[in-house]
Amino acid sequence: MTFLVPWAFAIAGMAAAGTVLLHLVSRQRPAAYVFPTTRFIPDRRALVSRASARPRDLLLLVVRVLLLLSAGAAFARPVMAPHRGAIARVVLLDRSRAVANAPNAVAAARAALSDGAPSILIAFDSIPTIVATTALDSLVGAPRSNAVGSLSAALVAGRRASATLAQRADSVQLVLVSPVAVSEIDSATRLLRAEWLGAMRIERVAVRADTAAGWRLERSIAADDLLGPATAPLRSASGDILTRLVRHAPTVQDSTFARSGGTVVRWDSAAVVHASAEGLAVGDDVIVAALARRLVSPTGRVVARWADGSVAASESSLGTGCVRDVGIVVPVAGDIALHPPFQHIARALLAPCGVFATERAADSSTVAWLVGKSHNAARAGALRGEDSRPSPLARWLLALAIAFALAELFVRATTAQVAE
Amino acid sequence: MPTSPYGALLDAVRGVRWPAARRVMGATLGAHPSQLRGNSSEFSEFRTYRQGDDPRRVDWRLLARSDRAYVRLTTDRATFTTSMIVDASGSMAFPLPGLDKWKLARELAVGLASVAHAEADPVGLAIAGAGHSVLMPRARRSVLVEMMRALDATTPAGTTPLAPFVTSVRATRLVVITDLLGDFGEMLSAARLRAASRTEVIVVHIVATEELEPPDAALLAVDSEVPTLRRILDNDRRAEYRGAFARWLDDAATTVRAAGVRYVRAHTTEAAPHLVRRIAGETARRDA
Repeated sequence: MTFLVPWAFAIAGMAAAGTVLLHLVSRQRPAAYVFPTTRFIPDRRALVSRASARPRDLLLLVVRVLLLLSAGAAFARPVMAPHRGAIARVVLLDRSRAVANAPNAVAAARAALSDGAPSILIAFDSIPTIVATTALDSLVGAPRSNAVGSLSAALVAGRRASATLAQRADSVQLVLVSPVAVSEIDSATRLLRAEWLGAMRIERVAVRADTAAGWRLERSIAADDLLGPATAPLRSASGDILTRLVRHAPTVQDSTFARSGGTVVRWDSAAVVHASAEGLAVGDDVIVAALARRLVSPTGRVVARWADGSVAASESSLGTGCVRDVGIVVPVAGDIALHPPFQHIARALLAPCGVFATERAADSSTVAWLVGKSHNAARAGALRGEDSRPSPLARWLLALAIAFALAELFVRATTAQVAE
Repeated sequence: MPTSPYGALLDAVRGVRWPAARRVMGATLGAHPSQLRGNSSEFSEFRTYRQGDDPRRVDWRLLARSDRAYVRLTTDRATFTTSMIVDASGSMAFPLPGLDKWKLARELAVGLASVAHAEADPVGLAIAGAGHSVLMPRARRSVLVEMMRALDATTPAGTTPLAPFVTSVRATRLVVITDLLGDFGEMLSAARLRAASRTEVIVVHIVATEELEPPDAALLAVDSEVPTLRRILDNDRRAEYRGAFARWLDDAATTVRAAGVRYVRAHTTEAAPHLVRRIAGETARRDA
């Protein structure tokens, strides 16, 4: 038998102990004596209390203690169920591109699994996969996934896995080993998190800050080019993946380069006289700056949008590579090219197709709502779909408590009569 | 065959006389000197004949010797109706379990009645208790037995006032046997009225030894007639209680005597026959 609300039983136990103590304190109550001339005795109250080694009114004490314990046990919601472990664990291991160091993440997952509690390991990027806990070592050497992670998918898989674990434990703990990047959170994540009734333990690992080291520009651009400050880190980068930045309409050679697996980024360098304040969003990065627009083909995958929703950049596959058309015109006047947010966006738009530029860790408030307000693991009963009605045993215990309460009244009245 | 608890008492008080305190007014022939002078055989004196005297009372022999007419005067004797009012309230059921106060009250009532009955006086009984009963004054032989039965069938309880009995009971000698813990004031007012109307009223105040000297142990005293009245009686309060109770006893005696009522205090340690003699006045007469 286990108690769903054990603190109620603890309170009843403390109350019973207090009752025993009160019975050990005996009031000096002299024996009653019928006395016709009582009226001549001075009317002054004087009762002396003293501690005693033997409790007074033993039968009354027993009834009261039983009353408190049975009521406490009833309110503690006893459950007659086979013995289960105290806790089980679902570990969600982030394997997406946002993880900076996969071995570190695996090590964190291994630490979370180290106490031997029943556990299920789910490795996820955009797709969650249940992995045997014994296969953790193989994950260390597995190739990195370039897919965007999805916490929503991981939470759904974790919820399903927890239903299995709930049969073997009283509560299920959800452990997330992830950098918790912004790209991994979508609009469904908050709702799915709310479905989990307990706290989520987050083992946060380093986010993959920049992938510039994995690719480089095929050729450097002129030093006085407006994109020069943004491409400065790329000029010194080393990598096998090449990106060709063209400042005009692509040529045949450019198409050939793309077909052979490269990435051609068309980013015209048209001189603009009149620029206006525009909002630009690329992935999770947003800037508002004096920019001009150039129409780009709406076909292909949109990689950047203006604030009004129109396409600012798109890319389409060509052969084994791709061509990206960027319709953002940087005005000659101004220092927008020197601003780090713009440089960040520029590097993202120059990145090879299929390779993200940066990941950004979610802020503390996001992590806080992921952890949740509760400090306890999710109750297994809720995960098993059991309702919150008390078990029949609780009703019987409550009836027993009522019976003891009536008995206490009777015993108290009898004791008082005897004292008379 | 059960022995009557009053047998020894009746034997002990046999021969005790209980004369009236003053000449009685009754016309029925009895043992007490009457205020009337008439035709009894107990010669008192001669008086010269006056017009209107009964010629049959003229002493003719004296007339022949002295040639003067004298009438012969005699002392008449009359009966004296006596009633006992016994307080059977809860306070008389003390101390438990012997009920010494009630036992003494019963014995006093029976003893005094037997003394009065021995002088051919009609005796009556009124029991002021929960199931109060009244026996009208009678001189017949069975009246004592009826009184004994009525007293034995009574268990003191409740709070019945004595004043109505003092006012209504028919008697020329009224004995109130009580502990004065009930309607003392009202009872005394009624007794004062009876005394003013030439009724001889005697208050026998029953006091238990335990009331004078309560047990030494600490007690929760519960009043017999008012159970809600509870007070702790311990060593600190015992002396104060004794003082208060003694003052009250003295005040009660003074107040009763001031009302023209005879006051007799009866302790439960005193034997009933002795008390009967004391109340009947034999002890005082012997000392005199």
